[in-house]
Amino acid sequence: MKRFAVRFARTTEMTLLAICVVFFVGLVIASGGDLLAANSLRVLLQFLAVPVLIGLAQMVVLAVGQLNLAVGAIGGVAAVSMGVLMAEHGVPVVVALLIGFLLATVTGLVNGLLVVLTRINGFIVTLATMTVLLGVQYRVVGTRTVDDYPQSVKSFGSHAVFGVLPLIFLVALVVAALLAVMLRRTVPGRQLLASGGNPIAARLSGISNDRSVIIAHTLSGAILGVAAILTVASSPGVNKSIGGDWLLPSFAAPIIGGALLTGGSAVVLGTVLAAFIVRFVDTARAEFSLEPSWVNFVVGAVVLGSVVLGQLRSRRQERRTVVKAPDAAVAGGVL
Amino acid sequence: MTLFLADKVDKLFPGVRALDGVTLKLEAGSVHALLGENGAGKSTLIKVITGLYKPDGGRLVLDGSEVQFGSPHESASAGIGVVHQERNLIPGFTVGENILLQKLPTSRGLVDRSAIRTEAARWLAELDLDLDPDQPVTELSVAQAQLVEIAKALSVESRVLLLDEPTASITPNEAERLFRVVAKLKNDGRAVLFVSHKLEEVFQICDTVTVLRDGASVLESGPLGDLTRDQVVDLMVGRVHEALALPPRTVPAADPLLELSGVGTATGHADVDLSVRPGEIVGLYGLVGAGRSELAKALLGLDRITAGEVRVRGQAVRIRNVRDALRNHKIGYVTENRKEEGVFLEQSVSRNIAVTVWDRLRKALGYVPAKAEAAMVAEYVEQLGIRIASPAQLAGTLSGGNQQKVSLAKWLAAKTEILIIDEPTVGIDVRTKDAFHTLIWDLAANGLAILLITSDLPEMITLADRVVVMRDHRVQGEVLNDHDYDTMSQRVIRLIHAEGTTAA
Amino acid sequence: MSAPVSETATAALQEPDAPIEAPQGGRTPWWANQRIGLLILVVALSALFGVLRPAFFNQQLVVFPLLRDIAMFTVVGLAQLCVLSIGHMNLAVGRMAAFSMMITGISYDLWHFSLYAGLLVGLVAGAAIGALAGWVIARTGVNSFVVTLALDFLLLGLIPLVYTALTDNAAFVTKPPGMRELRNYSLGDVCIGNLCGSPAVPQLTLFAVIAMAVVGWIYSRTKLGRELLMTGTSVKAAELSGIPTARRVITAHAMSGCLAALAGFMLAVSTGSIKATIGEEFMLPSFLGPILGGTLLAGGFISVWGTLLGAALSSVIRKGLDLLGVGLESLNIYLGLILLVALSTDRIRTVLSDRQGVRKR
Repeated sequence: MKRFAVRFARTTEMTLLAICVVFFVGLVIASGGDLLAANSLRVLLQFLAVPVLIGLAQMVVLAVGQLNLAVGAIGGVAAVSMGVLMAEHGVPVVVALLIGFLLATVTGLVNGLLVVLTRINGFIVTLATMTVLLGVQYRVVGTRTVDDYPQSVKSFGSHAVFGVLPLIFLVALVVAALLAVMLRRTVPGRQLLASGGNPIAARLSGISNDRSVIIAHTLSGAILGVAAILTVASSPGVNKSIGGDWLLPSFAAPIIGGALLTGGSAVVLGTVLAAFIVRFVDTARAEFSLEPSWVNFVVGAVVLGSVVLGQLRSRRQERRTVVKAPDAAVAGGVL
Repeated sequence: MTLFLADKVDKLFPGVRALDGVTLKLEAGSVHALLGENGAGKSTLIKVITGLYKPDGGRLVLDGSEVQFGSPHESASAGIGVVHQERNLIPGFTVGENILLQKLPTSRGLVDRSAIRTEAARWLAELDLDLDPDQPVTELSVAQAQLVEIAKALSVESRVLLLDEPTASITPNEAERLFRVVAKLKNDGRAVLFVSHKLEEVFQICDTVTVLRDGASVLESGPLGDLTRDQVVDLMVGRVHEALALPPRTVPAADPLLELSGVGTATGHADVDLSVRPGEIVGLYGLVGAGRSELAKALLGLDRITAGEVRVRGQAVRIRNVRDALRNHKIGYVTENRKEEGVFLEQSVSRNIAVTVWDRLRKALGYVPAKAEAAMVAEYVEQLGIRIASPAQLAGTLSGGNQQKVSLAKWLAAKTEILIIDEPTVGIDVRTKDAFHTLIWDLAANGLAILLITSDLPEMITLADRVVVMRDHRVQGEVLNDHDYDTMSQRVIRLIHAEGTTAA
Repeated sequence: MSAPVSETATAALQEPDAPIEAPQGGRTPWWANQRIGLLILVVALSALFGVLRPAFFNQQLVVFPLLRDIAMFTVVGLAQLCVLSIGHMNLAVGRMAAFSMMITGISYDLWHFSLYAGLLVGLVAGAAIGALAGWVIARTGVNSFVVTLALDFLLLGLIPLVYTALTDNAAFVTKPPGMRELRNYSLGDVCIGNLCGSPAVPQLTLFAVIAMAVVGWIYSRTKLGRELLMTGTSVKAAELSGIPTARRVITAHAMSGCLAALAGFMLAVSTGSIKATIGEEFMLPSFLGPILGGTLLAGGFISVWGTLLGAALSSVIRKGLDLLGVGLESLNIYLGLILLVALSTDRIRTVLSDRQGVRKR
C-alpha cells in the first residue's frame, strides 16, 4: 500500500489534484468566500457534468490508440433527436431518452465497424461521420430551437441533492466510476488497454484488436449518449449548435489528464480532474468578468504546457534509465 | 518421447515455396536448436507451428494426436508457449497481468487481482525469479522482461516452449541466467525449441539440431554432439564456405583522419581513445550492449559528448549532427538498423541514393536537375551491382542485400572520406556478404578511413587492420590483426573477459 | 566523377544470376490510378448536374462562383498537404487563416496598406504562426495533432479578443481599393491585344494556380521538396542521411500557415469582409482535397493535381446538390458519405490491383 502511495504521488493525477486544490482555494479567496455558498457550488458543478463526459468519451478511444472527431456531432444528433421526439412527436420521456442514447451508441458502433472493416485511418473515418452527422443534425432540427419538452426532464436537469450536488453531476461521476471499473477490472477493459498498449502482443495473446477498437468506439458513443441526455435536461433548449464546441474540450481533458495519443493509457481520474481545472478557469474568468474568449486562450496554453512538460519529463527519465541500464546489467539486475 | 512433431510441412506463398516438406521433432526433456540463415524459413516455420499461418501440406502432431491451429491463441491453449523476437509485454500492465494476459482470472465478472498475484507468483517461482507480480513491466530491464515473457509462455501450462532468438538483445551475464532457466525447463520434462544465430550458445545448451536451408530441412533432428561448428555452418550455407581471398593492402603511414582521446558521452562512455588513419580499417568489437553503436551516434552528434576531445584531420571539432558531419567533415555513417534508419522503404531507389548529394547538385532556388541526379544514381547502381528494374522502384521491394547496397551507396555518392560502418552484413546471404567484404576492403585501399562496427568475429578478423575491443562503454584494449582466426579470436575474447568480469 | 569503387569490388558485387527485383505486380493498372478516377468522376458529375439542371452551366451564377470555391479549397488543401507531406497534421489551418486575415485587416484599418501589401503582411503572419507551431513540434517532439489543436484553442481565444478591442462589429470595415473589384473580376477583364480570357473564370483562381505551381515545383523539382518527402517517409533515416529534419518540420508548417493565409485572403475577398470567423469551415475541406487526391496521411507522398481534383469533386457536388434543392447544411451528409465511399473504394481498388500482381508479402 505504501508503495502504491509513493507511485501515486508521482503521477499526473496527483499533480492535477494539487492544481485543482490550489485553484479552488484561490477562487474561494478571490470571491471573498462567496464561492462556498451552496448556490455557487451548485452552479460550478452543474456545468461540469457534460465536459467530464465528453472528455471521457474521447479518452476511451484514445486508450485504444484511436481518436473520435465526431464527439460533438454524435452528442448533437442524439440531443436534438431526443428533444424533437419529446416536444414534437409526444414520445414518452423515457422512451425518447432511450432512443437518443441508443442512437449515439449505435453511431459509435458504426464508427468502430467502419474503422475495422475499411482499415481507413480513424481520423478520416470519424471526420467523415462527423460531417454526415452534422448534416443529419441540421435535417432533424433545422434552424429552430426545441425547448418544449416535459417539465420532468428539466427538473431532473436542475435538481440538486442537498441543494449543492446537482443530479446530473452525480450521473457523470457514476459514468466515470463505471468506466474506471470497466477499464481496470473487467476482461474486455483490460483487453482494450492491451490492444492500445501493444497491439502485436495483444494479438499474440489471443486478443482481437478489432474487437477492442469496436468496443472503444461503441463505449465512446454510449458515453456521448449520456452526455446528450444531460445536455437536454440541463440546457434551456436544443438546436443545431449543440455539440458544435465539444471537439476541442474533448481532447483537452484527456490530454491534460495524461492520456497518450498512442494508446494504452486509462486516465479516468485525470480526465475528470482536467475537466475540473477547465471549469475553474471558466469560473475565474466570470469572477474577474473577462471576455469568454480568455477561457479558450488559457486552456490552449494549459494543453500545450502540459504536453510539453510531460514530454520533457519523460525524455529526462529516458535519459536517466539509459545511463543506468549498463550498471544494472553488470550487477545482474535484481534477479 | 516425442512431444511435438511437424511432419513434412509445406507453406506456399504466391510464387514462393517458403517451406518445403520440413520436419521438426521436439522431444520431452530436451533442447532442440533450429538453425538457418535469414530467409531459410525459420520464422515461417514458427508461424506455422503457432497458428499464425495455415500450412499448405503436412501435419502437426502434439502428444501423439494431430492438431490444427487457427490462431496463436489456439496453439497457446493447446500448450505451446512462445517467446517471440519482439518485445511482447503490455507497457501499462503489471508483471502479473502480463504473465496471465491470455487467461485473466476473474471472480464475479471482475478481474481477480489476488488470484493474479498468487498465480503469477507461482510461475515466477517456477523459474526461480524474484520479481514482484505487482510491479509495472515498464520498470523491468530487457533481460527481466524476457524472463517474464517466458513465464507468460509457461502460464498456458505449456509443455512445448519455442524461444525465438531470446538472446539477441541481452548481455552475456543475462544470457547465462536465461540458460539456467532453460536447463530447468528441460529437467522438468518440457520440450524446448531454441532459435539463435549465436552458434556458441547453441552448442552450449542444445542437445539436437534441425538445419533449414531455402525452406527445406537439410538436417533433421541430428544430435549436436556429433557435429563441429564448421560442419553446421557448411550445412546452413549449403557449400563448403571458403575463406575469402583478399588482395594484400598496406596502410599508408599518415596522420589519423579521426581521433578520439578520453571521450566520455551522455550514454555512459568514459575514456575512449581511438584513431583511424586514411586507408585503414579499424574494427570496433564488443558484445551487444558494449556501447559501440552508441559511440558512433555520439560521434555524429546524436548524443552529447561530455568529456575528452574528438579530432578530425588534426582539428578538434564538435560535430552537431549528421548533416554537420557530412558537410563539414566528410564523415558518413552506415547504420546497423537498415530498415528504419538506413533506407527510406517507401521512396524510390533513386532518391535513396541521391539524398546526400542534393546539396551538391542543386542550382538556384534549390532546383535539382533531374538529369544530373539520374546520371549520378545510375553510376552507383552500376558500380555496386544493385539489381533493380528502374531507379524509380521503391527501396522497400528490394532484398536485404540490395537495400544495404543502397544504404551504402548514398555515402559513396557523397564522397565521404571517413566512413563508420555499423553491422554491414546482418541478415545478408553469404555470397553478398563476401562481395561486401571485398567492397569495404577496396574502399580502404582507395584511401577511406573506415571504422567498422561488427559483432561478427570472422568478419572482423577478415577485414580489420586493428581491432579495438569495448566492454561496458569503455575500451578494453586493442589488438593488431594478423588475420589468423584462431589466435585472433582467442586474443579478442580474452580481452573482452579480462579483469574482474563475472561472465562464465 | 570517379567514385572510390574499383573494378574488382564492382565485379564482386555483380550478381549476374540474381533475378532483377521488379516491384510486385509491375505497374499499377490505369484504373487503379486515383487521379484518373477522380477526373472521370468530376467530369461525369458535372455532366449529370448539367443535364438535370441546365443552369449548372450558367457562367455568371454558377460556374464563376464554383471556380472561385474550387480555387479557394484547393489552396486550403495545399495548406494541409504541406504538413501531410511530412506526416503531420495542421488542425489549426482555419484559425491560422483567421489570424493572418486579422493582421491583414489591421494593416488595412490602422496602417492604410494597399490591397497587396496587406496580403503580403498576411502571408508573412501566416508563415510566422505556422513556423511557431512547427518550432514547438520540432523542439519538444510533441505530436503535431496536439500542438496544432492547442494552437487552435489559443487562436480561438485570442482572435475575438483582438477584434473586440479594435472593431465594433467583429469585422474590419476599412477595405482597401481594389478588393471589391477583385471579387468580381474575371479573366474576361484580362486582355492581351484583342484576346481576352473567359468571363467565367474569376481572377481569384490565379492565386490558386500560382500556389499550385509553386507547391508543385517545390515538391517535384527542388531539394527542399525532396527533403520534406524524405522526412515524411522516415524521420530517423532522414536525420541520419544529413537532412536537417527539425528545420524541415518548421518549413512545412510555415508553408502550411502561409497557404492558409492565402486561402483566408481569398475567402475574405469573395465574401467581402474580414471577420473573426474566417476559416471556421476549413478543417474538413483541408483534408478532403488532399486525401481524396491520394496524398498519404502517413507522409512521404503528395499529389498537387489530386488536391485540385479532390477540391473540385467536393465543390461540384456541393454546388450541384445545391441546385437540385438539397439544403445547404444537409449537403454535409453527402460530402461525408462521399469521403467514406471514395476512400473505401480506393481501398478495394488497391487490394484488387495487389491481387493482380503476382505476389503479396
